[in-house]
Amino acid sequence: MTSTSKQTSLQRSEKVHRVLLGKQQILVTEDEPLLAQLERAGIHVEYQCREGYCSSCSIKLLWGHVSYPSEPLAWVQSGYLLACCAIVKSDIEIAFFAN
Amino acid sequence: MSYSTFNRKHFDSTKEPMFFGENVNVARYDQQKHPIFEKLIEKQLSFFWRPEEVDLSTDRKDFQRLEEHEQHIFLSNLKYQTLLDSVQGRSPNVALLPIVSLPELETWIETWSFSETIHSRSYTHIIRNIVNDPTVIFDDIVTNKEITKRADSVSKYYDQLIEMVNIYNTMGLGTFNIPGKGDIEISMKALKKALYLTVASVNVLEAVRFYVSFACSFGFAERTLMEGNAKIIKLIARDEALHLTGTQHMLNLMASGKDDPEMATIAAECKENMRNIFIEAAQQEKEWATYLFKDGSMIGLNAEILGQYVEYITNVRMQAVGLDTHFETKHNPIPWINAWLVSDNVQVAPQEAEISSYLVGQTDNSLDDSDFDDFDL
Ligand code: FES
Ligand SMILES: [Fe+2]
Ligand SMILES: [Fe+2]
Repeated sequence: MTSTSKQTSLQRSEKVHRVLLGKQQILVTEDEPLLAQLERAGIHVEYQCREGYCSSCSIKLLWGHVSYPSEPLAWVQSGYLLACCAIVKSDIEIAFFAN
Repeated sequence: MSYSTFNRKHFDSTKEPMFFGENVNVARYDQQKHPIFEKLIEKQLSFFWRPEEVDLSTDRKDFQRLEEHEQHIFLSNLKYQTLLDSVQGRSPNVALLPIVSLPELETWIETWSFSETIHSRSYTHIIRNIVNDPTVIFDDIVTNKEITKRADSVSKYYDQLIEMVNIYNTMGLGTFNIPGKGDIEISMKALKKALYLTVASVNVLEAVRFYVSFACSFGFAERTLMEGNAKIIKLIARDEALHLTGTQHMLNLMASGKDDPEMATIAAECKENMRNIFIEAAQQEKEWATYLFKDGSMIGLNAEILGQYVEYITNVRMQAVGLDTHFETKHNPIPWINAWLVSDNVQVAPQEAEISSYLVGQTDNSLDDSDFDDFDL
């Protein structure tokens, strides 16, 4: 049992993408949403609900692709992503405020 | 056009705009023009809680041990929260129900307002617990100059919209002379503009003003003081997160023109106006912070830090409704607030555990014989 689940998680982790944030570069996987992975990299991201309904974690997506396992309740502005529930699907560049 | 509680016309409500279309007749939820409001209703219902579930027994002792200036901060903040929820417990209903045209949005407004009444009830629960005479606190909300100033700014847009809709519902369109107020122009455009600005100011109320007050509540809890209060505020904050999403959707839907093409023009024309509502509110909140901390600050929180948080959260909320940010503060000066705001660690009191197991117990009724098939008797 244990070895099977380990194998699966290893397989899933193979997809690694780069997240550019200013001069920083963070490597993320598709295993969990962006927010938790940014936090582990020591980056503070505003949050409240961590499940897509408050929009606090909205950050600018300059380029690249993310997807949502289920449609978030919060409005997602075009050119933004919700870090708490977005799965990174390609290399991306993000910024905290648009201007 | 006068309001009807049951519009007799036959029409397709999914073709109506959110506001100022037909009055809603059948409350049906099997089809929706904007499913988001149905989803918000369901989420809000799943959040249901009661203030009495939260144990406040240690708060009373904590409060008595606070220094005088800290008591001033705590009570003033609580008075402000009481004011805001007094407004929110009725105003979405009074202002928006007469003009709403979608059943799912109508019910969202009612569900939203109802949850605000829970918030109001929790302030009574808190105040009763910490002072012997709640009347002293409640009376001050209508007499204290600093609080009444806030009341003016949070009710202004609501009151104006309500007045205009009242005139519209009795007199129709035109320019009317209202004794003591002069000429008031009632056109669809003026009504829609008043609506848009009202929704913007409600968004500011819930997404900015409330969060400033949350920061104060959690400021005490960070020092392990008034933790029962913080537990209640966490539940309130979870509801507010949903409410602000509701007004963000309304504003963004209006601006997109997907709901009502005329609204897109109005939103564009009101953009500067909306910006100013955010900026003015932030200014007022900073002045409020100065009043809160006038006799002294607390560990971890003072007028300056709270002022920076006002700027930061205003930026976050402006961006969420498609506005450029206004303030320099691009980092949260009190990052610890997020750990308090997050709702997944709302502690469950023993009596809550009992209540939930009672509810869960009901599912036992659905057991049928097949559930016992595996039992060898
Ligand atoms: S933290 Fe609430 S939407 Fe992401
Ligand atoms: Fe509220
Ligand atoms: Fe609210």
